[in-house]
This record gives sequence, C-alpha cells and structure tokens, in this order.
Amino acid sequence: MRTGDFKETYGELVALTDSPPVWLWSAVLLLALILAPYILNSYALSFMIMILITVVGALGLNILTGYTGLISLGHVGFLVTGAYAYAIAVSKYGLPPVAGFVAAGVVPAVASLIVGTPSLRLKGLYLAITTLAFSFIINTLILEARWLTNGARGIAVQRPILFGVSFDSDAAFTYLCLGFALAALLATLNIRRSRVGRAFVAIRDNDTAARVMGINLHAYKLIAFATSAFVTGLAGALYGIYLSFVSVEGFPFLLSIEALAILIVGGLGSALGAVLGTVLIVLLPEVTRLLFNLFSAQMDAMFTTGAQELKSMLYGLVIILFLRFQPRGLVGAWHDIRRFWVHWPLRY
Amino acid sequence: MSPLLSVENLSKSFGGLKAVADINLSVMAGEICSVIGPNGAGKTTLFNMISGVLRPSGGRVVFDGTDLSRVSPSRFAAIGIGRTFQNLALFKHGTAAENILTGRHTHLRSTVLDAVLYFGRTRKEEIEARRYVERIIEFLEIEHIRDAVVGTLSYGQQKRVELARALACQPKLLLLDEMVSGMNQEETEDIARFVLDIRDELGITVVMIEHEMRIVMDISDRVHVLNFGRKIAGGTPDEVRRDPAVAEAYLGGHRPQAPAQKTDPHVGA
Repeated sequence: MRTGDFKETYGELVALTDSPPVWLWSAVLLLALILAPYILNSYALSFMIMILITVVGALGLNILTGYTGLISLGHVGFLVTGAYAYAIAVSKYGLPPVAGFVAAGVVPAVASLIVGTPSLRLKGLYLAITTLAFSFIINTLILEARWLTNGARGIAVQRPILFGVSFDSDAAFTYLCLGFALAALLATLNIRRSRVGRAFVAIRDNDTAARVMGINLHAYKLIAFATSAFVTGLAGALYGIYLSFVSVEGFPFLLSIEALAILIVGGLGSALGAVLGTVLIVLLPEVTRLLFNLFSAQMDAMFTTGAQELKSMLYGLVIILFLRFQPRGLVGAWHDIRRFWVHWPLRY
Repeated sequence: MSPLLSVENLSKSFGGLKAVADINLSVMAGEICSVIGPNGAGKTTLFNMISGVLRPSGGRVVFDGTDLSRVSPSRFAAIGIGRTFQNLALFKHGTAAENILTGRHTHLRSTVLDAVLYFGRTRKEEIEARRYVERIIEFLEIEHIRDAVVGTLSYGQQKRVELARALACQPKLLLLDEMVSGMNQEETEDIARFVLDIRDELGITVVMIEHEMRIVMDISDRVHVLNFGRKIAGGTPDEVRRDPAVAEAYLGGHRPQAPAQKTDPHVGA
C-alpha cells in the first residue's frame, strides 16, 4: 500500500500551508504581536516598529532580488521616493493619508518603470550599478526641486488619522505598521504561489527556458521591478511618518546595503527569510552594543559617535559570515533543524 | 494537406560560421519526425530557431500557417510550440509540480493584482492549472517525485519533468532535444513509449533530435539528416538507412554500412 500525505481536493494543493501546527503557531505569534505594544516599554517598542517597517521594505526587495534574481543597490531610492510622495501629498497638499499611501506606492512604481525600461536589459552587476546611480539621481532631483520638496530642509509629517482612528501614539502606530507588514507578507506569499511569481522565479533560474514557456522576459522583469518599488515605497512612507520628518539625510545609502544584508542573512528568495533576516539585522547593532557594554563602558561612547560606520562594518561582517557558512541563510538553517527534528533519531 | 511546420531555406550564421545553411524540411501534423546528424551538425541551432531562442539569419519558418518571423519569441509557446532542452533547463529550486505549473503560464490570465488577492477567479484558475498538471504527472508516471525539488532528482527523472513541463504548454508541436542521452535501456524504452503516446493519445506532433539510432529508426515516420549545417538526406527510416551520403557522414569515406547497423543489428530486420 502506498502511504504518504494525500490530499482530497485540488484546493488543498494550492493552499498556503496544509499544516495545522503552522496555522496554530502563526496565530500564537500574531497574538503575541498584538499584545506586545501593551507589554513592551517604549525603547523596546521602537525596535518593534523598526522591524515591522523594515519587513515591508525587505519583502519589497525580495520580490526583485529574491524571486526574480535582479540585484538592486538602489532600493533606498524607492524608499525615499515613497516617503516624499506621502509627505508631499499629505503635508503639502493636505490630501487624506489614504491617498498619501496610494501615492507612496504608485509614484515609486512609476519611477521604477522609467528606470527599468532601459536598464532591465542589463543583468547582474551592471543592473546593480544602474540602480545605484538611480538612487543618487533621485536624491539630487529631490534636493533641486525645491518648489515641490523644500530641498534640503525636508518636510515634516504628522502621524496619520485613518478611517477616524488616530495612529498618533507609538502603540497605535505599531498596529498600523503591523497591518502593513502582514499585508505585505500575505501579498508576497500570494504572488509566489501564482502564475506571476512562478514567472519571476523562472526568469531567475533559467531565462531561456522561461521564454520558451511563453514568459515575456522584459514585461515580467518590469512587473517585478514595479511591484517591488510599490511595496518598498510604502515602507518608505511608514519610515518617514515614524521619523516625523522626511529628508534626504533620513535615507542614507546604507539602507540599500542593509536591505541586501537582510535578504542574504534571511535566505534569498524566501518571504520567511526576509522576515527572519529583518529581525536579526535590525537587532544586530543593539545586541552588539549590549555585548560590548559587558566588557567596557567606553565602548558605549563609540557606538553613539560612530553608529553608521559600525553598522556598515557589522553588515559587511554578517554578509561574509553567512555567505561562507550558511549561504541558504536563516531559513536554510531552519529547514535543516526541522528536518533533523522530524527524522530524529534517523539521519534522513 | 499543408504541413504543420515548414522550414524554408533556413540559415543561421555566427560570425563567419554557417551553423545552419539553407535547410528545407516539413513536418505533417501527427508525425513523429527525427533530426539526426553528427555533433556540430546544426541540429540544436535549428531547434533554437524553430522555438524562438535564436532569430534566423535567412529563410523562414512557417508554423500552422503563421510566419514565425512576425511573431515575438515570447508568443511561440502560446501559438503551440513546446520544447525540451539538450542540457537540462529546469527551474532547479522549485519542485517538480511547480516546474510543470510554470508550463501552464500562457494558459493562465491572472495579473499581479489578482495574484496579491489570490481570491475567486485567480484561485479557481490555479486549482484548474494544478488539476491539469496532475493529469500530466499521471500520464508520465512521475507521481512519486511531484513534490521533490528538481535539483535533487536523477538525470532521467529531471528529463521527464522537463518533458512534463513542455506538455503543460499544450503544444501542437513538441521539440525534443536529445531526450534519451545519458539514459539507461529501461529509461530509453519508457521515453520511446511516451513519445508514441504523446502522438497517439494527445495528438501532438513530435520532432526530436536524437543520437540513439534505435529509438530514431523504431518510432520515426520521417528522418532528416544534417551534416555541417546542411541537410544531406531525408525520408523514411528505411530510405535514410540505405542512403550512401548518410553512411559517409557518420563513418567517413565510402563504406557501404548504414549508421543503424553500427549501433544495433536488430533494427534492419
């Protein structure tokens, strides 16, 4: 007799997960996230907000770099475009915040089409350099277009009131970010299990075969670029709101590297990896600071004065370590642990 | 009846090298047709032009009444041309089922927005695609590996998944590039049986590049022989076997043996 995990309907075959424990633990995690703002102090809550915002951005980059295999070094460009689109729509023109969020997604998506149309004929390193140039061009444009962006002075942004609910307090704002993060996660997972997601992965793994399957390479690369920019732009808007001030300085180039580090550490091409990577990378500088504090109090001063420099060194270090010892990232490690756990005491 | 595929004076040059020169051949609907020839004869280049991977330098390909030079390469699958590759071209991080689902691409409609919501029509479409894929999995007898990541499968199994992926496109014409190379006797016979079933049950016309003479001579309706980018012979397996130009291409000189007798003495009987 054949044994195995049999399905009774085709619907079960296309479901996100068929495992009751996965649903159970997701529910437990969600409950914990909902309760967290009541339990955490404001310092810990600031990390939670940063993680949730960064998850949105990382999931955005994951669509482009993880799924479609196109490396972008300029994603901070979409982040800043999204933030400015929101700030200009809401603070400058007084549009409702919902319209601001729509603009924060659509404007970067349109920008990505403009950049993508010529540059997506390039691959690998060349595309990375083109996107890098794009992020610097965007910065210059923002600084020069003073009539629209206030140039270097930036734009102040209020916490929004959506559908009559004020997201002014940190706890309320956490819920807004949680909502966006969950929506981004669900959207990414859904894209991955649909025709479009399969086309992205096909382009990454073998573009000749993808074309023979009838996938229009140029169109789908553009779709990946635009979708990625849309999600990243939303993260930019959230970040701008959180900082309560949108300026070019608020979005340093390091954020692009941080996003790539998140994907590499988490495991390229996996939504779960993007989430795990975000948690690790966002907490990494803080954890390092606490560790060094154990040895000497002077280290603390170094962390406040040279925060950016230390961060970039840390990101570089974890990227190297992960590429060398765990190239499949945290999600790969998780799969190994799970396999070991399921099959123990057998080897496989 | 006009042929399903007709290749007219087709040429391809890479710099000064003429990989394919003035090839004419036609394939009728419902035929199993083989393209043979020594290494470097231009067989795969010919396939690449028919399947839209390469643009011809001269001549044209007419498929089902359509001049393919007027069709964008990404539309070739939609008008009914499917193929497998000589060296595996699977999406190696995906499972077998996922790879085959990718073959359904042109038969699905959902856009990014539909995909994000994954609701109603999109979900129904995905379930329908999955049902179709299951039928192909059953047809090719690969139920046991449907959820395996293709990178972990054996060469023969990967080839079969690739065949399944090509079938998922629902092609009218299936191009098989060295399906059985590197397979053992049993796997080879399985594939021969599948090719016949694909023609007889699914009604798909098959053109295959093959070095394995047994399968070529046993199941082909017509055989075309290429050498140095030119077609040197074409006809039924028997005609080709007796053609002196074919023997010369394979063996050199003017020896009278045919290639089939070299690989298998039973075929001529």
